[in-house]
Formats: sequence, structure tokens, C-alpha cells
Amino acid sequence: MTTNSSLALAIPSKGRLKEKCDETFAAAGIRLEQSNARGYRATISGLPGVEVMLLSASEIASALLAGDIHLGITGEDLLRESAPEIEGRIALVKKLDFGFADVVVAVSNAWIDVSTMADLDDVCAAYAAQHKKRLRVATKYAHITRGFFAHNGIADYRIVPSAGATEGALAAGTAEVIVDITTTGATLRDNGLKILDDGVILKSQATLAASLTAEWDAETRGVCATLLGKLGADFMLPLPHL
Amino acid sequence: MFPYYKPADIEALNRQAVTLLKLFAEHGYAREEPSVLQPAALFLDRSGEEIRRRTFTLTDPSGRDLALRPDLTIPIAKTLVEEARPLPARVSYNGPVFRHEPNAPEKPVQFFQAGIELLGADDRAGGDAEILTIAIAAVRAAGLTDFTLRMGDLGLFGALVDDLELPAHWRSRLKRHFWRPGYVETLLTRIGHGDETSRLPQEAREIEALLDVQGEAPLAGRTRAEIIARARAEVSEVLKLDGNVAGAITRLLDISAPIETALADIRALLKTAGASLDAELAAVEARLAVLKALGVDPARITFTAHFGRSMEYYTGFVFELRSADGATELAGGGRYDNLLELLGAPKPVTAVGCALHTERLLSAITGAA
Repeated sequence: MTTNSSLALAIPSKGRLKEKCDETFAAAGIRLEQSNARGYRATISGLPGVEVMLLSASEIASALLAGDIHLGITGEDLLRESAPEIEGRIALVKKLDFGFADVVVAVSNAWIDVSTMADLDDVCAAYAAQHKKRLRVATKYAHITRGFFAHNGIADYRIVPSAGATEGALAAGTAEVIVDITTTGATLRDNGLKILDDGVILKSQATLAASLTAEWDAETRGVCATLLGKLGADFMLPLPHL
Repeated sequence: MFPYYKPADIEALNRQAVTLLKLFAEHGYAREEPSVLQPAALFLDRSGEEIRRRTFTLTDPSGRDLALRPDLTIPIAKTLVEEARPLPARVSYNGPVFRHEPNAPEKPVQFFQAGIELLGADDRAGGDAEILTIAIAAVRAAGLTDFTLRMGDLGLFGALVDDLELPAHWRSRLKRHFWRPGYVETLLTRIGHGDETSRLPQEAREIEALLDVQGEAPLAGRTRAEIIARARAEVSEVLKLDGNVAGAITRLLDISAPIETALADIRALLKTAGASLDAELAAVEARLAVLKALGVDPARITFTAHFGRSMEYYTGFVFELRSADGATELAGGGRYDNLLELLGAPKPVTAVGCALHTERLLSAITGAA
């Protein structure tokens, strides 16, 4: 995706994230100029050497991981979900104060005896012993869920990938527990679900991130420093391994 | 790291495999081989997190989730359950396994394992001794003369916890988390302080009323009775573990020493805590006697009370056979009496086995890096 020595920056192509992103850029005095008619490419006026791409939020996470782009703006939830270990591959440069969403563990309100991860652990073990199968956790965040459940010592469960409307999985009978994002908790409440007391896995927000696996040369580093300066990000790229 | 095998490596590994499989066969273990590709659910649904995060998964063109086998134990056990094989059954294997190494890029992503499984033998002590004996005979037949052993027994801790005056779910909680470094100690401290308070009401009908208010909320796989029973157990729970006993268990879990010293330390500790584990300690001593009879120096055997290995399916005796300096694990195994039932066996089936890391064994013998 990157062309000779220009800095590739990806921003969300649609929705609330795009609007808020535009506001952030405007506040920083960064003006985008569309460079093709369909609006998926842009340049920054007064800052040559930056190639701006408009991609979906999840594409931005995987492009950062693959090193196809240098910088990107997307949700921290998507960055953390893109790989179990992002350390050394993606650097979180600056939280941007919009796109807030919590990744949480939620169970049915009918489970009056379950309010903590330790309770859930007991129930998972009892369920596995009694039914000879594991409790199902519906989620779009398989990596994040595995890491958090492991941290809490829960092993007796299995993940059911969810394509959309995860909050409906319990009512549909396709899972017993969900891990999903929520902003106000209203959707969860409407579906008879509650968040466990210690079940907030990640307080996510839109984040400017740098790919550590992309090809960085003197030129892209220089342009990056200028751009990050405009955005008020206090960040130093790690030196390349020689 | 992606291993590459050259003619000399292949020749040496093949020669070693022939020796090992011949020895296994002489003890009644016939070789079987499950396919390299397996349904992903077989490993992801039944293994603990350690195996799960190290299993390579892929999706086939029809959209089914597959895995490259991270071990041969689970697919072999699954097949024996499905075919309702006559028991006891003795199976050996030799083949590549695949493990993702997220934090150790220098480790190979695939390596050969040779091993044996003894399933459905009712005499546990006899089964433990048989596996231990063959494991030692195998590394010696391969040419290894000097090695160390590390042993443990999850049964010790289990029996100790079973004797505690604690609610059943607290006992199972302690046993379930045995393998988590530090967590059992944290739980014991919590119990010792007895500061657990429930937010649920005392009266049964108040608990039922709480559930009734939730009317529309899905029961999500549990029955109303299950939920109420657990809620009532939480409320009635009185945690009155003697602080001395909690302390003694914590100290017991810290014991790791040459086996004869460790056994003496454990006995002394149990005496002060007023507990006894005669049957369990006798089982450890029986294994020590087996090893002595095989000419293994007890000073080369470390007993580690907190040693459960990182795979949660072990339930009793566990061991690792390591290089002379103790730095490299060459073989490992133990008892996993719950696995076959989890795989669908209609009743509990005893199981004990071991696997040899044949490439490391070869390196240890030839002195290569």
C-alpha cells in the first residue's frame, strides 16, 4: 500500500469515527484534500509526503499489524483484538478522546448468584462437570476474551464467534455468556443482561497508532514527527534495529 | 523457528524412533497414528488456556475450523472412546506435533514426540510405576545415561483440600486453581481472613423473589433450581479455616527439594497442621522405590509440591525427565483421569502416559546444542 517514502496514514472511512476524526484534524489545523473522485485517498495540504487512506476501522487495525501503513486511527479494542500480542508490532501513540466503548463480560440478570469473574469461574466449572460440555461465550473479541479469561483463571468455556448482535445470543440460545462492547449499557439492559463487577476488560477509545513493522526511513520518520507534533502527540518512534 | 531436517538428522531421528517404538512394543504398546489435521474443537473446547493459545488453527475451504495437532494424547484418547475399545488399552505413537511459540521465536513450531498411553488400568500405582519404568528405559535405550527428574502429585494437594472444613465449591475452587502460580495462596489468605460476605438475602423466598423480578431475563443454560441452589450455598457459607492450616498449605506448596528431604519436610509440616496424607505419601514413596530399583539416585530427583505442569488435564502423578543440568525437559508425563470422560466416555477411565521430546533427547545424547 505504501509508495516510495511517503508516510501512509489511514483514517476511518465512515460513521461517527470519521466525523470525530475530521473534527480532531480540523482542530489541529490539518486540512485533507481528496486526491481521487471516490474519496478513498487524500493528501494533507501543506504537508507533502503523507498519503492518507480512508479504510474501515478493522482494516486499519490489520493494516497496522501487517506493516502496510505507518500510522492509523482506529479503536483500541480493534487494535488489541487484531493479535494476542501487539507489543513490538503496534505502538499506541495517542488516545483521541472520542469513540469511547467498553469491552465487557455480561451475563443474564437471571443469574442472581453471579456478580464477579470468580462467580463465573465457579459456574463454568459446575456447568462443565454437570453437562460434560463447556459454557459458550459469544463474542467478536476472541483474542481479548481468551486473554482476560486466562488472567482470571477460567478454563472451562468455549468461544462462539459472533458476527453481529452479540447481545441477542442468550435469548437466541446460542451462548450463555457474552463479551461485547457497550457505551451506555442500555442495549445490554434491554436484553436482560448485566456487566460483571470486575468484568470490564478494556476501556477503549479511538487511538492514533503507529506500526512498528512498517518500513520506516529517515523521510517517513521526519514527516511522522511533523504530523504528530501538529496532533500534539508526545511520542518517539523506537529506533530501528540495525 | 521452522526446523529443517538434513539427511543425517533424519537418519539419527529414524534410528532413535525404531529403538523407542521397539521398546514400547516389548511392553505391549502398539503404535497408532491420528492425522495431523484434527477438528479444532477437539483441542479448543477441552484443553486449558496453555494448550489453547499454543494451537495452530485454520479454516478449511468449506469453513470448518481445523487444528494442527498440538499433541497426540487427545486425538488417541478420543478415538479409543469413540470406538469403545476394550480396556485396559496400551498405545504408543511417534510423530510431529505443532506448537505456536508467541514469546519464544527461537523454539521450533513443530517437533517430534514419541510416547505411550495406558488407558483404563484400574491399578493406579501399578500404572504410574509402569509408565515411569518405560520412560526411564526409553531414554536409556536411546543412549542417555545421566539425567535428573522432577516429580509432583496433584493428589497430595487434592486430598489436603478435601480434608478442610470448607464449603464444597471452595474446595473445588482451590483444586481447580492449583496450577495457577500465586492464586491458590491468595485464595487461602482470603479464606483465612474470613472476610467473604454475600450480597444476597438470607431467606430462601427472598432469593426466589429476586429471581422472579428478573422475569424476562434468559436462564442461559442453567435451571432455576441450579441458580437458587448456588445462591443459597453462597449465603450459607461460613469460612472458618484455621489460619495455621491455611499457612501450612501455603508452606507446603513452596516445598521443592531432593525427594527424600521434601518428603520429610512435608511430614513435619502436616504434623504441625494436624493433617495426615498417609495414602498419598505412600504412593509417592512407592514411586521412589521404583526409581531406586531402576538405579536412579534419589539425590537426582526433585519433588516439587506445586508442580502440576502447565497442562490442566493432569490429575495426579506428574513427572519431567530433564537433562543432567536440569535445564532442558526431555520427557514428561503423568496421570489424567478426567480426560476420557470429558471426551465422551460414559464413565470415568483412568489414564496415564508420557511423551518424549525426541529431538532434544538426541541433542542431549550427542552433546549438540
